[in-house]
Amino acid sequence: MEEEKIKKINVAYLLGYIFIPILICAICFAISAVYFPKGNMAVILILGPSFMSFAWWILGGRFIYKQKQKKLQNELQQSEFDSNQTFYSDSSMIIVDENHGKIAILFFWNPFKSYVLPASRITKTWVDDGRGGAGILEGSSRVSFLFEIDGIKIRVNTFTSNQRWRMDSDYILTGISKADLMVNVLETARSKDKR
Amino acid sequence: MGIFRKMKSIFHDDWCNKCQSQMDERMRKLYMLPMTVGHYTSHKNADYYKNNLVKVNRKADIPVGTYACGAIMYECPNCGNRAVKLSIFLPVRDIEKYEDAIYFENGELDEFLFKLD
Repeated sequence: MEEEKIKKINVAYLLGYIFIPILICAICFAISAVYFPKGNMAVILILGPSFMSFAWWILGGRFIYKQKQKKLQNELQQSEFDSNQTFYSDSSMIIVDENHGKIAILFFWNPFKSYVLPASRITKTWVDDGRGGAGILEGSSRVSFLFEIDGIKIRVNTFTSNQRWRMDSDYILTGISKADLMVNVLETARSKDKR
Repeated sequence: MGIFRKMKSIFHDDWCNKCQSQMDERMRKLYMLPMTVGHYTSHKNADYYKNNLVKVNRKADIPVGTYACGAIMYECPNCGNRAVKLSIFLPVRDIEKYEDAIYFENGELDEFLFKLD
């Protein structure tokens, strides 16, 4: 497990997540067109899979991700892993064990595979405050911390917005502080594992 | 932070609430509040601060992502009334992100501040 290469996206899961509901809808629409062109059954076959597909796209991934997060946390609790710092983001969950110099990662698009790695495999950590624009337009809409494991860059957002905020706004400062904290924690774990 | 407390902290946090005259700054101290970014909870009880504030000498001594608390003690030159203002902020690189301002005007923290002096 410790030598395993990290996969941020499980392509089969991603494609299945998007296309299986479309396929089910298409099959139901075809059945409706051939066998039930009118009546209640036609409505059920057309609307049922459509609503369920939307519900799946909106909630399904989050539900699976949450369940897997809980499962990983329970597994770590039962092992010798001390969860000193946990960071939840939409795309991944990072748990750091500063005492033993380990890191646990779970990705949203690869929820069936969790990684518990020695922190020494981290080669680089940094903060991206997303600063852009000039003068009064200077600001950011995303703050994140990043780290590299085996040359794979992992970005974890601490703040995202659909608008640009001034660099001294509370949102940006909180995002930077969270990112700085996580980089600090990762570096501590990394230095611990190197010893 | 409530709008009135915010205004008071901006305009006249150093006015005596008994005689309305300007108070002198008697003491200024910096503490670390053991709460990390994203987990701040406001506390109005002086006992919480007595039990949890950790004295630091410089802002640089506060770990990244941890809240700081600046304590200023004011004393009125006319009536001798004392007031303590706690400014709770998150140090983010060179900037201070202010979270809360809490006033203790009945001497709740006086002993605590003097004790550590």
